[in-house]
Amino acid sequence: MSADSPAIATPPPVVQVRDMDFCYGASQALFDINLKVEYHRVTALIGPSGCGKSTLLRCVNRMNDRVTGARVTKGEVLVKGKNIHHADVDLTQLRKQVGMVFQKSNPFPKSIYENVAYGLRIHGEKSKSVLDEAVERSLTHAALWEELKDRLHANALALSGGQQQRLCIARAIATLPDVLLMDEPCSALDPISTLKIEELMHQLAKEFTVVIVTHNMQQAVRVSDYTAFLHLGKLVEFAPTEELFTNPREKLTEAYLRGTFS
Amino acid sequence: MASVPPPPNDPPPTLGSRLLRKERRVVAGLDPQQLIKYFFGANSSIAIIVLVLIMAFLLREGAGFLTTYRHELEVYRQAGLEFCDLADRPLQHQRVLANALRRALSIEMDPLTKSARERRDAAFLLKASVEEKTSASRADLEHALEQTPPPAADSLVHLREVVKQKTTAAAAAAEYPDLFTSAEKSRLQNELSELSPEVSDLPPFLQSLIAEYSTQDQAARSKFAGIISTGELFEEATDPVVEVLDELKAHATETKEQATEYFTLKAGRQQLLDAAATATDPERKAALLAEAEASQSDGVNFGERIESILMRREELISKLQEYCTALEAAFKEMPEQSTTAEATALVSEVRHAIPGHLGEIHQAVENLKNWKWDAPVAFYRSLGAFFFGTEWITNSSWQDFFGFVPLLAGSVVISIIAVLIATPVSVVAAIYTNQFASDREKEIIKPVIEFIQAIPSVVLGFIGISLVGNLIKDFSEISWLQWIPGFPIQERLNMFNAGCLLAFMAVPTMFSLSEDALNNVPRAYIDASDALGATKLQTVFRVIVPAGISGILSAILLGLGRVVGETMVVLLVAGNRIAVPDFSAGLGVVFQPAHTLTGIIAQELGEVSRGSSHWQALFMVGIVLFGISLLVNWCARAVARRFEPHKA
Ligand SMILES: Nc1ncnc2c1ncn2[C@@H]1O[C@H](COP(=O)(O)OP(=O)(O)OP(=O)(O)O)[C@@H](O)[C@H]1O
Ligand SMILES: [Mg+2]
Repeated sequence: MSADSPAIATPPPVVQVRDMDFCYGASQALFDINLKVEYHRVTALIGPSGCGKSTLLRCVNRMNDRVTGARVTKGEVLVKGKNIHHADVDLTQLRKQVGMVFQKSNPFPKSIYENVAYGLRIHGEKSKSVLDEAVERSLTHAALWEELKDRLHANALALSGGQQQRLCIARAIATLPDVLLMDEPCSALDPISTLKIEELMHQLAKEFTVVIVTHNMQQAVRVSDYTAFLHLGKLVEFAPTEELFTNPREKLTEAYLRGTFS
Repeated sequence: MASVPPPPNDPPPTLGSRLLRKERRVVAGLDPQQLIKYFFGANSSIAIIVLVLIMAFLLREGAGFLTTYRHELEVYRQAGLEFCDLADRPLQHQRVLANALRRALSIEMDPLTKSARERRDAAFLLKASVEEKTSASRADLEHALEQTPPPAADSLVHLREVVKQKTTAAAAAAEYPDLFTSAEKSRLQNELSELSPEVSDLPPFLQSLIAEYSTQDQAARSKFAGIISTGELFEEATDPVVEVLDELKAHATETKEQATEYFTLKAGRQQLLDAAATATDPERKAALLAEAEASQSDGVNFGERIESILMRREELISKLQEYCTALEAAFKEMPEQSTTAEATALVSEVRHAIPGHLGEIHQAVENLKNWKWDAPVAFYRSLGAFFFGTEWITNSSWQDFFGFVPLLAGSVVISIIAVLIATPVSVVAAIYTNQFASDREKEIIKPVIEFIQAIPSVVLGFIGISLVGNLIKDFSEISWLQWIPGFPIQERLNMFNAGCLLAFMAVPTMFSLSEDALNNVPRAYIDASDALGATKLQTVFRVIVPAGISGILSAILLGLGRVVGETMVVLLVAGNRIAVPDFSAGLGVVFQPAHTLTGIIAQELGEVSRGSSHWQALFMVGIVLFGISLLVNWCARAVARRFEPHKA
């Protein structure tokens, strides 16, 4: 399988999933996953509904920990070479390293400024100048600064859906994570907002590493460098996007891409 | 609305045919859809209609109050009662000051006479206890002595012997406190052993103790002659004023009684006339009219009767001025410094109050000079007297006042105490239950807290009287807690006690609603916070609680609504003293008893005659209470709306 393709020597993968099985209680959701996410690349996860894309994504920042009975039963997940299930990994630090953006935008019912500053505040940052600087930087990155710089103290819930989602991205990158996980970030947005976020994705990849779950094949083609295709909890094919879409190695992938999927 | 009129040429269909015609079923001009709609609409408007009726009823009963009360205030003025009160009010203050002086004196004298008094009291206690222990045999002897003819000598001797024996034993068994030296103890024991119902003189040692006390008391009195004479002068200074005032009061009361009688008769006559007007039987009509005629009486000539009061206006004023001079003179002799700090404080308090008191008197003199018996009582006066009056006095032989402030103050203070106690408890409990408790804990905590609601409030009142009151009292007597204002407390039944119980009653409301509010915080906020690496505590206090704050605030307000309207507990526990709490006591004010808006209605409404001013005043209280409840509920809704985050 292409997931087993020889590792590129340098730079090392920022996220590496090795032989991982994952269970929700008694039912196994992921089977023997192997995946490497390279620095400053956009990796897309595609696959039919219920195949385990979100589950895999949530394994990287251990968001599944909150589900009772959910656990990794085999294999390991490494972030920057460190096993994230190791006893001395601090969960709050891990989540500072691995940011997440959800399908439905979920800004806090606070001001725009406070939303972006939240991540830094909970990690102990108090200095106003540092916060100001981080807010400006993050909003600029999320292509919001020009729009919002005059109303930083307005309630975030008053923004449009697309702005809210970009604000969530700004909030997630304010703590300067290494990886940004995005679970169908555009599925609730109109085409124009979607376009803006897709443009953003390329910019973000310059600073961060992005893993995105998407249902939209065109989107995967447009934004990602690598694509992983999952089916029934198994990683069927993982390859550079262009290769996977033009010349899939697996029959299953081809069927899925052509839409003749049984 | 959408009913289709029958075609113009058709004969008007009967109801039966309308019901039977399936194609266009129309009942009373409406199709069934609309009927059902109206039926549901009518049911939901019942609540609104009932509410409006209640308001209308309250307003009708209460509105009459303003005219009735105004009329009473008019009589109060025209009969001259107001005139007397102008002079009397400041004199009541004088009584307070005189009491303070008396207290200062007893504080001063107490240490000087304490030892002698204690020795005397201890000895008398011992005597009483010996007599108590031997009471049976003493009673036998007394009984025998009273018999006629006297019983045989030897039986008397025997009885005396028994008494002697028992008394000696009791005297030996008694515990002699260390107030006495050992010589005194044995002397006391000897004398107590001699006690017999046949000797009425006190034992000599006890007599000497009494003498000892009276010498010490004399000494103390001469030492504090300064305060004593000031106090006496102070107390006597009002005598001439009071003498004049009492005569005036008697006259004014008499006028008022005449007026009351006249107005009662007049009302009765009006009823007779009304009955006559509607009577159909001419005989009966004539009888009613005759009866009405017979009850005709002359009105009271206030102008004539007030003359004898006004005649003495100058006299009263000059007496008041003399009183001022006497007061000033008395205070010149007042010693500056007292021996104990407490007494010094009391005396200086009185000293500082004197200029104010004199000012009061001068003001009263001015008021007396300008007072006019026939000045009209403005309409708003009765409203003002109700809303700003500080006295609620009913069934008084002098004058009833319906001032609402003491009741409002009681209700407000009690509600504040209850909310201050209940809020942290219920909000913290709600946060814990919602965010930290395990499922098992939730299963226990929620039903238990909600069960509190099921406790009948009269049972809580019971607990307040029998348990909480004593607990607070005992606490207030612990010596290292004396820094708390108001400690030690005087009354077991007080506002704090009531506030604690009401807090208990408000907890279920506040807890359940706060818990709901926290539960309604969108899951997505928590996800976002978790994904940013927040700890549980950070998520709770930075995201969940702020997002649920509107719900929590409105829960608190609804709890307040419950507290304000609660009746039984406050009636039983608040102490029911109708007076504005003394806020100069600082926070200690919470340990004073008070009456409340709800309590007064529950207590008095059953006893007043329907339609009287007192009855109407209680309805006014009801209206205000209703208004407060509406306001609190409206605020709760407004808060919920105001802080409601735009639903994402
Ligand atoms: N909290 C959970 N408890 C139990 N099973 C779960 C839970 N979440 C997901 N699953 C199961 O795990 C499998 C994978 O779910 P997942 O949400 O990862 O799918 P997905 O690929 O993200 O689907 P979609 O495209 O619809 O979002 C599904 O069969 C789902 O039923
Ligand atoms: Mg999903």
